[in-house]
Amino acid sequence: MEFFLEGLAQVANISTILWMMTGSILGIILGALPGLSATMGIALMMPISFQLPTATGIGLLLAVYCGAVSGASIPAILLGIPGNPNAIATIEDGLLMTQNGKAGQALGGAIVASFIGGIGSLIFLVLFAPLIARLTLAFGPAEKTTLALVGLVIIASVSGSNIWKGLLMGAFGMALAFLGTDPFSGQLRIPFANQLATTPLSKGLDLTSTLIGLFGISQVFIELRKRKEETKKIEHVKIENIFPPFKKLLQMWKIILSSLGIGTVVGAIPGTGASIAVFMAYNSAKNIVANSNGKLEALGTGALEGVIAPEVANNAVTGGALIPALALGIPGDAATAVLIGALMIKGVTPGFHLFATNMPLVYAIFITMFLANVFMFLFQLMGVRLYPKILNVPQQILLPLILILSFIGAYAIAGQATSVGIYNMGIALGMGIIGYALKRDNYPIAPIVLGLILGGMFEENFRRAVKLAGGDYLVFFTKPICLFFMALSVLSVVLPMYAKKRKR
Amino acid sequence: MKKKSIVVILLVLLAGMTFLAAAGSKEAIYPDPEKNITIVVPHSPGGSTDLIFRTLAEEMKRVSGVNFIVTNITGAGSATGTNEVINGKADGYMFLGAGTHTTAATMQGLTKGYLELDHVAALNWDPFIIAVRTDKPWTTLKELIEDAKSRPGKITLGNAGMGGATGVASVGLNLAFGKSFNVTPFNGGADLISSVLGGHCDVGIFSQSEVIANKESFRPLAILADERSSLASLDSVPNLSDAGYPDITIPGGSFRSIMVKKGTGEAEKKWLAETADKAFHSENFQKFMKNSGLIPVFSTLEDFAAYDATIVADYEPILKEAGLYKLTK
Repeated sequence: MEFFLEGLAQVANISTILWMMTGSILGIILGALPGLSATMGIALMMPISFQLPTATGIGLLLAVYCGAVSGASIPAILLGIPGNPNAIATIEDGLLMTQNGKAGQALGGAIVASFIGGIGSLIFLVLFAPLIARLTLAFGPAEKTTLALVGLVIIASVSGSNIWKGLLMGAFGMALAFLGTDPFSGQLRIPFANQLATTPLSKGLDLTSTLIGLFGISQVFIELRKRKEETKKIEHVKIENIFPPFKKLLQMWKIILSSLGIGTVVGAIPGTGASIAVFMAYNSAKNIVANSNGKLEALGTGALEGVIAPEVANNAVTGGALIPALALGIPGDAATAVLIGALMIKGVTPGFHLFATNMPLVYAIFITMFLANVFMFLFQLMGVRLYPKILNVPQQILLPLILILSFIGAYAIAGQATSVGIYNMGIALGMGIIGYALKRDNYPIAPIVLGLILGGMFEENFRRAVKLAGGDYLVFFTKPICLFFMALSVLSVVLPMYAKKRKR
Repeated sequence: MKKKSIVVILLVLLAGMTFLAAAGSKEAIYPDPEKNITIVVPHSPGGSTDLIFRTLAEEMKRVSGVNFIVTNITGAGSATGTNEVINGKADGYMFLGAGTHTTAATMQGLTKGYLELDHVAALNWDPFIIAVRTDKPWTTLKELIEDAKSRPGKITLGNAGMGGATGVASVGLNLAFGKSFNVTPFNGGADLISSVLGGHCDVGIFSQSEVIANKESFRPLAILADERSSLASLDSVPNLSDAGYPDITIPGGSFRSIMVKKGTGEAEKKWLAETADKAFHSENFQKFMKNSGLIPVFSTLEDFAAYDATIVADYEPILKEAGLYKLTK
């Protein structure tokens, strides 16, 4: 209690509150703009945080972080373009809801879900940080390999109507993941290796540029085509009933809890991250709905459940990623890596050490994390009546604007390295064309993303696990966590097939 | 009336500014106090490389009165930021936060790197520590090495990535001890720490701050340098010769230096080197290095070039062994 009060004293001042409000607004805006990520927002604010007292500086960065993760869902729901990779699983149902005239409800649901995810994971962080931190240490290369396998199985559930098309796209995504440099030998694995060795392609495709192309730019092309074929009626967006009824949220308690758990734990495992967690949460929600006897709406049909699940999960990742960062000094994701840097600059080394020697600061961080979520919630609430107005913008203005923002986003990822920025714009355009062709012919895009994210994780950890075991490929069958995940993968393929058969 | 006078004032100001600008460009004094000197740090903000150059920039600003700003341009190891300096102007207004990362990236063919850069000043080494989890059987480096030699390939030695400084240190160590370790690259420092803490990898090569952050769980076996650490919490860790291996020299740390684009004028380089000298020997920077456990190796211009040649010579066989060497002469 004494520590808590000391921590509160570090935070309870007008400068902290004002900086955090600024950070929260900035984070939401950055998150909503395609290509500008939470990591970039934190890196941008870091020089300012150096000048502030430690707790205030960290509060500012956390506010940007929480804001950006939540802001990404706005364009995902309204336009089908994720603000950053955290929001990729929100698109499916979010966009459908918008098309059904329920944009307000989707946004409101996302905001409530973000808040639940953020605060829920903070509770985990406060109560169980050292415990969960130790749990994540059990995840070595072999365990991560099988975790990636569980993720890859999800391809089946995001494939839409045709599973074969989904599998094909998943394979395509994995193939894309292998472009670049072999992580072990340093050999180039790209076409025209000699010519491209000094270009950014030698490090593989940039994930965010790829996503901007596949979702954003391709969507512009699709809309252009639609304009040619039909005159599109602009749906009048109703913004009443923003909040999901409390009763409905209660009905979804299983979805919320499982998404919270998935987000927190996956966020806490270094080398994974929100983009995996959201798909796992989506998949788990799908299974829960299937067993709900029709009480809940089926995912993929524009259901609120399909927005809530990934949005709870991606904000739960924020608290999850802080667990190993604070308790072990190991960042859970790229954003927390920058956060650790900001602490080190202040002469604070995160780790067990921090908990032993500077509990007031730890509490101050917890309190700012709480405030970051509260501010995010308040500012999102103020904006929620504003955002859907973007849909009333005439398409001849909106589409070029999206295109410009997409390219700026791709360019800006590289910071001040202009050559890399231009290369990223090229990737975005190329992926936009590929994405357009695929969407036109009803190939699902989400499996490509899963393949791209998990392919690299699977390959690298698979090879690392085998190397650590001295070349023994059976290593995966000797570890309990691996066996559990492999059984889970098999079951999640077999059980739905069995259930289908019984229904008949 | 009021509007008119505002226009007049603006015109006068504009004329004045053009005049000043013209005067400035005519004389071409280096450094122009109106201009910023940019330090390109090819790593993320908040990392140890970034911290060193930010602290140095503050001091350079203080001793010279010229404004130094730090820009982080990350990507492709350190090649992206390095290329940005190489593609810039050779006018002395931009320099690279260089070091062993530059040497490694150049040898891997990711950038023209040191082939297109001139030496200004060598700064310091950030030495690595070889450590195991506290419940492992080895209490000294000697015990570990003897055990590794008795069963080659069975003990795993992790690094944070083959192309980086810990990768070079681990391959160097393995070469020095008859290739008896199973050297495995991880995906960055965080991945390596959690794998060693989780018992998935036996031995790891870490920076001093990483060891301090996990002091309760790590047993440091040796610091890969000629001297012991200047940090109180690590000064009991033996260096290589105290650990019983005085003949072994490997590049066991990250070295940081200042380099500019090739073709920068001698006067500009000399001014930068002198300013770096003053900043480096300032009380603040010396204190910073001591508190961070950095080992000073200051030299400038030709002396630094000669010193850098020895680093290149040390690196070559190691990168060749790791299969990363791509330079063709």
